[in-house]
Amino acid sequence: MKKVHAVTACIIVLFVILLSFVLTSLNMAPETEEVRTLGKFFLENSYFGDYSAMSPEVVTSILWDYRGLDTIYETSVFFLAIISSLALFRLGNTIESEKHSEDSGPGLSFIVKGIVKLVSVMIIAVSASIALHGHLTPGGGFQGGSALAVVPLLVIVAFSKFALEDLGFTKDRAMVVRSLSLVGIALVALFPLLYGAYIMQNQPIFPARIGGQLTSGSLILYNIFEYFAVGAGFTAVFLLLATPEKIFKKLLGVKKE
Amino acid sequence: MIVEFLWSIVIISILGATVISLYGIARRPSLIKKLIALTILTDSANLLAIMVGYRLIYPVAPPVLPRLTEEGLKEFLATAVDPLPQALVITAVVIGMAVNILIAFAIIQIYRIYGTTDVRKIAKVIKNEGS
Repeated sequence: MKKVHAVTACIIVLFVILLSFVLTSLNMAPETEEVRTLGKFFLENSYFGDYSAMSPEVVTSILWDYRGLDTIYETSVFFLAIISSLALFRLGNTIESEKHSEDSGPGLSFIVKGIVKLVSVMIIAVSASIALHGHLTPGGGFQGGSALAVVPLLVIVAFSKFALEDLGFTKDRAMVVRSLSLVGIALVALFPLLYGAYIMQNQPIFPARIGGQLTSGSLILYNIFEYFAVGAGFTAVFLLLATPEKIFKKLLGVKKE
Repeated sequence: MIVEFLWSIVIISILGATVISLYGIARRPSLIKKLIALTILTDSANLLAIMVGYRLIYPVAPPVLPRLTEEGLKEFLATAVDPLPQALVITAVVIGMAVNILIAFAIIQIYRIYGTTDVRKIAKVIKNEGS
């Protein structure tokens, strides 16, 4: 580390401490002992109350019920970004068919491969639990899907991209799963219109309990669809990222190494 | 008093991280470092939003109902933090992750074509190709 960097770091730390001291002595720190009125409304209403979402998890009920349209638009931004990434890295059909011949090498040791096999099953179980309990405990579709996407990443590192594709998890299939899940989200969002209710309305339309288990109406459906959509979207991205560099170099016509 | 002081330190540190990340985005020539600075900016903005919803009391609880009874609700209201900033932040986190993926893909493609991620060198190459 250069001397200049150390001096800069010291100045920044001193500045932070000094400024917080001034802030404290002038009593200017923001008051944060009470929840704001809007937050209180959500806390009171998420399970009990007149505008109930029948979910003890207040964040999930805001995410998929009270402010559900926000989340729908957020999901569309997320998938537009993934589609743009796939468009940036698109491969021609001819090159994709001949890529398998370049597969070579013995791969990593059996210890790594064995551990990855074990851990993958555990990750799938944990991520499914995160997604399916999203309406009861902290967690949900996004978090579970992100955890699920770790499995293809591990398999790509320990075995190879081609091992994953031989198992049937190709990029195109991931895109199909992703699109089907998006259609599922849209259908669940539009379903209340059949009963003359609002778009994305949850409570009187969807059953809050199924077989005595609390399912919080549409929240569990959204979480499941989002789980598959996010997991499949990330799988497609990771598969493209793992494509050998040679193929892209050939495709782009880059000559220098 | 000491609690307020520590609280102020946290807030000022987050603001400081925001300023440093803005410097990184504007002044670092490498695209990778710009991306890293952008993620720091996103994270400090998210952390600031979470701080706004936090409560300086003890004990403090996450916004998840511990028991499904009416009596538990009063106790829950006294301790639970504001859920709205958390719901907004999870939206922001996911969008931030997607945008980061897109930027990373673009940077990789730029590196493949130009052989560098230094914006000054890329500008020079583009200028030479144009003339």
